[in-house]
Amino acid sequence: MSSQHVLLSPAELSYLHASLSLQPLPLRPDGRSPTQFRPLVAETGILPGTNGSARICFADGTEAIVGVKAEVERTVQPFTQDTQTTQDEGETPAEDERRKEEVGGSDWVEMTVEIPGYRDDDPTTVFLGQMLQEALLADGEFTKRLRINGRFHWKIYLDILLISPPLSYPLPLLSLTTHLALLSARLPRLKSEGDEDPLFDDDWAASTYVYPRDNNKKDGKDGNNKVVARPPVTLLVMAVGNNIIFDPAREELAVADVALAVSVGEETTTTTTQTGGDDDVDMEEGSTPGKRRLRLLSVRTIDPPSRLTPPGVPNATNTAYTAPTGTAEAKTQDGARTLETERVEGVWKAPRGGAKVMVMAALVAKVLEKGGVADEVLDGLEAVDLG
Amino acid sequence: MPLDTSSYSLALLRVDGRRWNELRRINAQIRTQAAADGSSYLEMGHTKVMCVVTGPSEPFGPARVGRTGAGAGATAGASGGEAGVVVSIVVAGFSSVDRKRRGRGDKRIQELQSTISSALAASLHTHLFPHSTISISLHVLSQDGSLLAALINAATLACVDAGIPMTDYVAACTAGSTSTYAANDESADPLLDLNHQEEQELPGLTVATLGDSDRVAVLVCESRVQVSRLEGMLAVGVDGCKQVRAILDRVVRDKGRKMVQEGTVQKGVGLEDMEVD
Amino acid sequence: MTDRRRINGPVGATFPPVFVYEGEDAVKETKKTRSRPPNAIRKMYLKTGVTPSASGSAYLEIETSAKGSGSGLKLSCTVHGPRSLPRSTPFSPHIILSTHVKYAPFATRQRRGYLRDSTERDLGTHLETALRGAIIADRWPKSGVDIIISIIEGDQDRESSKAEGDESWDMMNALSGCITVASAALADAGIDCVDTVAGGVAALVRNAADDSVSNIVIDPVPSEHEKILAACCIAYLPTRDEVTNLWFKGDLGASDMELYTSLVEKGIQASKYANRVLVECLGETVG
Repeated sequence: MSSQHVLLSPAELSYLHASLSLQPLPLRPDGRSPTQFRPLVAETGILPGTNGSARICFADGTEAIVGVKAEVERTVQPFTQDTQTTQDEGETPAEDERRKEEVGGSDWVEMTVEIPGYRDDDPTTVFLGQMLQEALLADGEFTKRLRINGRFHWKIYLDILLISPPLSYPLPLLSLTTHLALLSARLPRLKSEGDEDPLFDDDWAASTYVYPRDNNKKDGKDGNNKVVARPPVTLLVMAVGNNIIFDPAREELAVADVALAVSVGEETTTTTTQTGGDDDVDMEEGSTPGKRRLRLLSVRTIDPPSRLTPPGVPNATNTAYTAPTGTAEAKTQDGARTLETERVEGVWKAPRGGAKVMVMAALVAKVLEKGGVADEVLDGLEAVDLG
Repeated sequence: MPLDTSSYSLALLRVDGRRWNELRRINAQIRTQAAADGSSYLEMGHTKVMCVVTGPSEPFGPARVGRTGAGAGATAGASGGEAGVVVSIVVAGFSSVDRKRRGRGDKRIQELQSTISSALAASLHTHLFPHSTISISLHVLSQDGSLLAALINAATLACVDAGIPMTDYVAACTAGSTSTYAANDESADPLLDLNHQEEQELPGLTVATLGDSDRVAVLVCESRVQVSRLEGMLAVGVDGCKQVRAILDRVVRDKGRKMVQEGTVQKGVGLEDMEVD
Repeated sequence: MTDRRRINGPVGATFPPVFVYEGEDAVKETKKTRSRPPNAIRKMYLKTGVTPSASGSAYLEIETSAKGSGSGLKLSCTVHGPRSLPRSTPFSPHIILSTHVKYAPFATRQRRGYLRDSTERDLGTHLETALRGAIIADRWPKSGVDIIISIIEGDQDRESSKAEGDESWDMMNALSGCITVASAALADAGIDCVDTVAGGVAALVRNAADDSVSNIVIDPVPSEHEKILAACCIAYLPTRDEVTNLWFKGDLGASDMELYTSLVEKGIQASKYANRVLVECLGETVG
């Protein structure tokens, strides 16, 4: 999708590139500031038939719906573990047990992305799905929450639907929608104990959130539906010239020098969460609002579609423009070299090669900086009523 | 899940408390999406679908460059003289009670696609847009019976929103019969608008008519049913289509009135009968 | 999606048995130690022109880890093209790159099917990004090139159980190999590139010995480390000092930006080492 053809002429591309690389501030076609997101409308809990759902509509008309479904699944016991436990050594089984508790399988989450007009095994669709899944699984906190007991776990199906045709690279939209859907996702309360076959409470009102929140007065805090932990968000950021631009529209992405997808998570203050049957208990006492500690979960280079844009022809080499002289041949030869190597002011040329390391590091740093965009986005998402 | 059909004869009430000729609540919206040429959202009971129409546009728009036939659904209307109607349906994995994933190559979905595509191609004035494509993308968010009918209604509304000239609404609904085929019950009553439970158990058909007329545009019957019962079912179905048409018409008019009031569009000529208050 | 055209083995395949060694304790102790210094990559063997029928090809082998029980990485890459596009394709001012990465069914502990799964497609997309920056695409308008990589042996330790080895880290090593071998094959096919691009992996690992200290190593072998905290795979163009593809995965605090930067730097270093092998191999072919 990033390589989708943008129907812009070389002149338009050149103009766009020039205005986006203006200093000190880029001039974006839709008048946004470099760090500003497109305005959006979000709602959660729209589908009663799912464990959690969300819908986000960006102002440019792109819309996505995400539904979360959960099923109970038997945990596969790796038999090599068993062979180890059968051998003596008193503490080995306990240690294995501990490890098994700590990590959940990455196959406990299944994510599918549906984009109209694209097959579901299209590389770009797969790439998007893998990227979102990678961020979700990166810290292992999520799969920990899915554990029911030693023998069973929840299997989460995340179906991500892009409703509108893909007008822009849909990554930020899909990521934000997934984030909200996961926040609103609830699982039935476990009634059984220990490793017996799980039995759940029929009462949906008693269900627990996958991402717990301290809405009750358990410890007398002023928390009003405050979410304790949050799923990651993936942000799209690109660089043009010396400018860093967030949430690029399709036309802007078409002139990007480099585009990165950066997944950011929020740190849960106590890392050693003791998972037991009581996964609704909140241990993160230390997390004070407004002071979040971000974590970098994943970075991926997005192939910028600018590499596939048609190049412009500078006047110097345009045979239709220059009057033919005796040394026409030599001139075109010369011109050909110019075309290959030099950048002519005002003539669009698809970028070649990669990006400087410093630029990429600056992009990531910009995302993660304190009070930066990631903070802002998470604040914005916090304001969404989670029903 | 066996359906207790015997209780119907006692109170003449169906499992969800409706009478035989009652539709479920239909709630629809058009112009739900800013960027699309036409869009709609339709609920028939718990069946919820969304529709986005793109076009009429060049056959292989920017979204499909270099991807011949990728994800394209059924096409009706030959290229050349008239516009092709491409329908693609995405059934969300979370739409049914148990998660079930249907790929795009699923035969059942392909059949739905081609049914909708041919029904709409007959109603839309495709000859006005030669060498172009009208692409209709449907998303099923929640399923509770009468899926085909809901899809057809949503597609009609989205086409209206897209402003594609058409002869009339294609309004659809389902009809069934109160007892199973095996019961061979001569006195079985026809039923209107089946939900999922009834659809599983009872014979049923989907019918779509062209506007207020009795002209049938789509008729799909996939279950065994005695011929003698068919006529009654069809009559009830066609009657239901008229009710559905009235609801769809109301949705379109309401939206139009609202847009005139807001000043987004000018009131057209020849619309004296449309009261703007 | 089931594969109806072939007769597949039963689902839920089993792993070959792993026998306990005589000196079991000794094995246990040496289990999680790195056999090389932290800033050395494993030896690799690269050869171009192995498939005569393709316009360009290359074969890459990375040595097995010192224990001998693991398998190394064996990749073969063929490049077909540049060739004209089918008539139905719309005009393109650039060469159209298509990359296929496929694990052989026997390449990993878990048998892979014949159809490409999502991780393989994902690798293909990464590879495409990495190569597209290197190729001078506007010299071949209206044409396409196919790059096909088969992973013959997937660099996995047979002894470690499935639960231990996290396959996602193996993917990074596989990708860096893919980038290097594809670059060699592209050069063999005579497709103009701005530079030879090579892949390198660096990882932040925690060793078994002391639980608190984590350090950065290049070319990590998952079975040689207790826990990999983060890793990054880099495709690097040495003469231009540019990165065409960066893939970072893991869990790093936002305050540890230096750690991230040094991880990327180490990745580039690994890529430089690989590039040296690549350049030497290409030099041999020319000379």
